[in-house]
Amino acid sequence: MTGLVWLCKRETLRVSKLWTQTVLAPVISSILFILVFGLSLGGRIRQVSDVDYEVFIVPGLITMGMVQAAYANNASSIFQARFDRYIHDVLSAPMRPWQVTLGYTVGGIFRALAIGASLLVLSLVLVDVPVERPFALVAAVGLGLVLFSALGVVVGIYAETWDHTTFIANIVILPLSFVGGVFYSIDVLPAPWEELSHFNPIFYLVQGVRFGFLGESDVSIWLSLGVTAALALPVYGWSQWLFTTGRRLKA
Amino acid sequence: MFRDAPALRLRGLTKRYDDGTVALQDFDLEIPSGAFFGLLGPNGAGKTTLISAVCNLIRVTSGELRVFGEPHDSVTARSWVGLAEQDINLDRFLNVRETLVYHGGYFGMGREEAERRAEEMIEAFGLQGKRDTRAPRLSGGQRRRLLLARALMHRPRLVILDEPTASVDFELRQELWRYIRALHAEGTTILLTTHYLEEAEELCEEIALIRDGHLIARDSAEGLRDHFGVDRLTDVYVKAMASAASTRLGRVRPDRL
Repeated sequence: MTGLVWLCKRETLRVSKLWTQTVLAPVISSILFILVFGLSLGGRIRQVSDVDYEVFIVPGLITMGMVQAAYANNASSIFQARFDRYIHDVLSAPMRPWQVTLGYTVGGIFRALAIGASLLVLSLVLVDVPVERPFALVAAVGLGLVLFSALGVVVGIYAETWDHTTFIANIVILPLSFVGGVFYSIDVLPAPWEELSHFNPIFYLVQGVRFGFLGESDVSIWLSLGVTAALALPVYGWSQWLFTTGRRLKA
Repeated sequence: MFRDAPALRLRGLTKRYDDGTVALQDFDLEIPSGAFFGLLGPNGAGKTTLISAVCNLIRVTSGELRVFGEPHDSVTARSWVGLAEQDINLDRFLNVRETLVYHGGYFGMGREEAERRAEEMIEAFGLQGKRDTRAPRLSGGQRRRLLLARALMHRPRLVILDEPTASVDFELRQELWRYIRALHAEGTTILLTTHYLEEAEELCEEIALIRDGHLIARDSAEGLRDHFGVDRLTDVYVKAMASAASTRLGRVRPDRL
């Protein structure tokens, strides 16, 4: 277990050393979203589902900031380690594959939680966002972070250039976040957009986190948690399989 | 088991890469515990593939690898091996002290032990002034020393050095030789690959010549010179490689030498 602890420390140390890039920058951009969209549009869009607009968008923005950070952290950490080949130090160490998988996953979760906690504190000060269902919030955040941290690990292992890692972030995660009900309730969408939203995995995660904060969401909390878990488990299993077999990591 | 088992035993080791290249073919090798063993061969001979296989950095196609009697991929065997690769592969986010401490941690050392050992290695390799400097800011010689210090950090029983003196100046080469000799004198088994024949002759008790994934000769430097009827190891190398290249399989029977 010692190796696992040190790998976790290494991955969190990287986040701490680069905190202006890894934590401060995403917190500032999410806060700008809250200020620009919430406080300015809040004057025109009074309430969504009986909740003030500036409060309504906070759970989605926190979710968006966290999942992007969890993914980006692990994708870049693993890709850098492969590119510079210092991943050999870990691959040759007396650690079991599950320990390596978990160790690399932890970095993304740590960074996302640092961002989420910062945003939560700032949101409490700025818009007094409530936390109605803390257990649901913890479950939704936990599953979401496992999903996107593990996705980062998988992409970091498969990527052949830096462009591959940013491609998934910019072409898949960011657009799905924007159309995942962060800024609106899907009830207001016309057909077929409302129906199509149900095929967006980030939509369920946003709904789960929103339920944790506000106590209400567009779909059942169980459906939100179920869909997120159904994605998180196989993606984590995929990352575990890569470390167990050595595919893409070892020639 | 540890006392009697060879430091490294390879049986029928074959590695075929995804593009079809066969880097090692049915390769057998046994290195006694406590030996200073040199592996010589041209680029593409299979030296780095062999080392990577032992250190679990490639997927082996077939064959058996044992380190001091344990399967090479077992947690125990891994903890006994220290590797300094040919290319500098240091973690760019860690400074010198952290590089050593984290390596120790990956290999099962507790914080106090790792901190203490890291200070020993920093002193032994003359890196005191660079303790808090990150790897990319070190000079080439300092990186090479750190690479070797990292390989020795967890007190491995088998140290594998893949061309440790490639592209280093004369002074540093002499310095590294001193470290390696001292290490061997303490009973550590050393597997060294090098292109420098004088280095192999100077350091190694036994030398194996490999080409195209096959072992073509193995003996002490003196034994090899006698076998080939020449005065210098350079001539042994040239003759052995030429003979191997001239055969269809690129192979000379070691027992016929």
